[in-house]
Amino acid sequence: MTFIRRNWTPEEADKWTREDIIAIIISPFAYAFLMIGVALSLFLFLWGFVALLIGIILTGFMHWVIDPKLKAISSEYEKKQREYIENLEKIITWRE
Amino acid sequence: MVKFVFLDYFWLVLYLILMTGAGVLFYNLGKRSEADFFLAGRALPWWLPAVSVYATHTATDTPMWVSGVIYKHGFRGLWYTFFSAWCAIAAFVSARIFRRSVAYSQAEWQSLRYSGLGAELLRGWMAGWGFFLNMFILGWVGMAMGKLCNYLFGWENWIGLVFFSSITAIYVLSAGYWGVVMADFQQGIIAFLVIVIASLWGVREAGGPYAIVQKLYELGESWRLNPFHFTGFFSGDFPVAWFITMIVIAVLGGFGMGTSIDWYAEAQRIQSSKTVRDASYSIWWGTAVTLTRNAVWAVAILAFFVMNPFLVDVKEYEMAWFRVAFEHLPAGMTGFLFAGVVAIHISTISTHLNLGSVYLTRDIYHHYIKPEASQRELVWVGRIATLFLLIGSFIYGSMMEEITKWLIFALWIMGAGMWLPNILQVVWWRFNSWGYLSAWIANLGFSWLVVWVLPTFGVIPELPDYWQFWILMFLTALVYIPVTFLTKPEDMEHLVRYYVMTRPIGWWKPVEDEARKRGLIK
Repeated sequence: MTFIRRNWTPEEADKWTREDIIAIIISPFAYAFLMIGVALSLFLFLWGFVALLIGIILTGFMHWVIDPKLKAISSEYEKKQREYIENLEKIITWRE
Repeated sequence: MVKFVFLDYFWLVLYLILMTGAGVLFYNLGKRSEADFFLAGRALPWWLPAVSVYATHTATDTPMWVSGVIYKHGFRGLWYTFFSAWCAIAAFVSARIFRRSVAYSQAEWQSLRYSGLGAELLRGWMAGWGFFLNMFILGWVGMAMGKLCNYLFGWENWIGLVFFSSITAIYVLSAGYWGVVMADFQQGIIAFLVIVIASLWGVREAGGPYAIVQKLYELGESWRLNPFHFTGFFSGDFPVAWFITMIVIAVLGGFGMGTSIDWYAEAQRIQSSKTVRDASYSIWWGTAVTLTRNAVWAVAILAFFVMNPFLVDVKEYEMAWFRVAFEHLPAGMTGFLFAGVVAIHISTISTHLNLGSVYLTRDIYHHYIKPEASQRELVWVGRIATLFLLIGSFIYGSMMEEITKWLIFALWIMGAGMWLPNILQVVWWRFNSWGYLSAWIANLGFSWLVVWVLPTFGVIPELPDYWQFWILMFLTALVYIPVTFLTKPEDMEHLVRYYVMTRPIGWWKPVEDEARKRGLIK
């Protein structure tokens, strides 16, 4: 079994797993590096380009980790959504 | 004052036609149902709501605010704009949970998460609050446009407020959220292009990147290039304690719903996405572009600083980016820039017109007044609610000078003591509606005391905002934690239904076990 899982059944994807935690941890750093990297790169600082590159790599890695899981969750949920929306419409008639 | 030539008028008129045309084009889709008028039928690919997230959070007052913090703090001021990074975690946690709930609004989500009288009280309160909050934002942003038009053309403030908000209302009334999101798409692209072109032009006018850096060193202001130039742990105007607090609020806030005021607009974009995956990427990428836009702005504002160093009047340096843009772009491009500013403005106005009317239509009219209303009737109620918001925003906008401080106080209430309850309601099964309601009430009282009353009477000193945050969080918890444990948990049947539907993160073991026992999950 690999450290990062890339194949998911819908039931397994519904659970919160290591892949979610990795995305949650990487994501704020990706934002910070992208923001600072763009600002410093526009002044042509070398460490600005380095920060921007790190931001891009983190963003790519984060998507690589989380995307298969999000796809699995989405495909399964699409099937159930109609039933949930019907339930929501029942709740709106709260006086019944 | 700015003078337009033919080419300037050309850009502006072309853009206004494109924008209102979007409303006409999507009229037939918007009128189909309540779900179409407010959520575009929950059918959007991620990049459409992503551009809408970016466009909505680029308002007329945003460059003024960013100019203020960057001119004062240099690149470390970028961290003031990092509050939108709550989407870093929200994209993979609360967006997923909220999208699966299929709730139209945060108010509706309250009645899915909680049950009984407490849930209904919360839904009514959140809907009323949401409606007036959007009206306030419309007034605030509308008046910023009024002031900008006064600066550019010498118009009375109310003209810019009424004229551009009314034009926006044409396509929001016609096509609802379909019109909003489609117009946002073109507005977002135009606004981004204009921001990049005008900012880089400003850098060129200041002598280019090397010359700006050189001048900053000559002025003894090179610290402005350091994003981590702290003034001490607790001391000075950029302490480490503030930075840590901001990172905690912004980043960990993504586990909750409503920890940032921007959540409510994002919630509509999340729900309009066609899948959970699209919802996640929409807010992640919308925010990524927003943060990089802030970086581009920051560079132009430092260019302005070296051309106009050591201004002390906030009103003067808050116009930094607008001045860089309007004072230096060549003739014929001013209209292009102004069209971009109009794009920035109306994308925000359109969002809040439609979002505010969700609460009045879905959560008040449809839920409490006429549950059996037809889809056609609901769309019309949505249009009437939009009109109410528009007129209300004119009144709010014209009163802004007097009421601003009270409304900022109201926003502060949402941010401080409510931060942790907004997370707990997502991650902890035992947190109930009475705990959440008591948090609102307690936070109202404590905010009043800690931020206003006690410092005014000299009982406590006026505290830095990061201290206020931690104190309010602690004091409010002293109320809602006991209330939660002294009142009953939510009905298990209701919680199980919510759990199976949304699969929340955190401490939900008893509910998960019950759902498994009933064979609802594996």
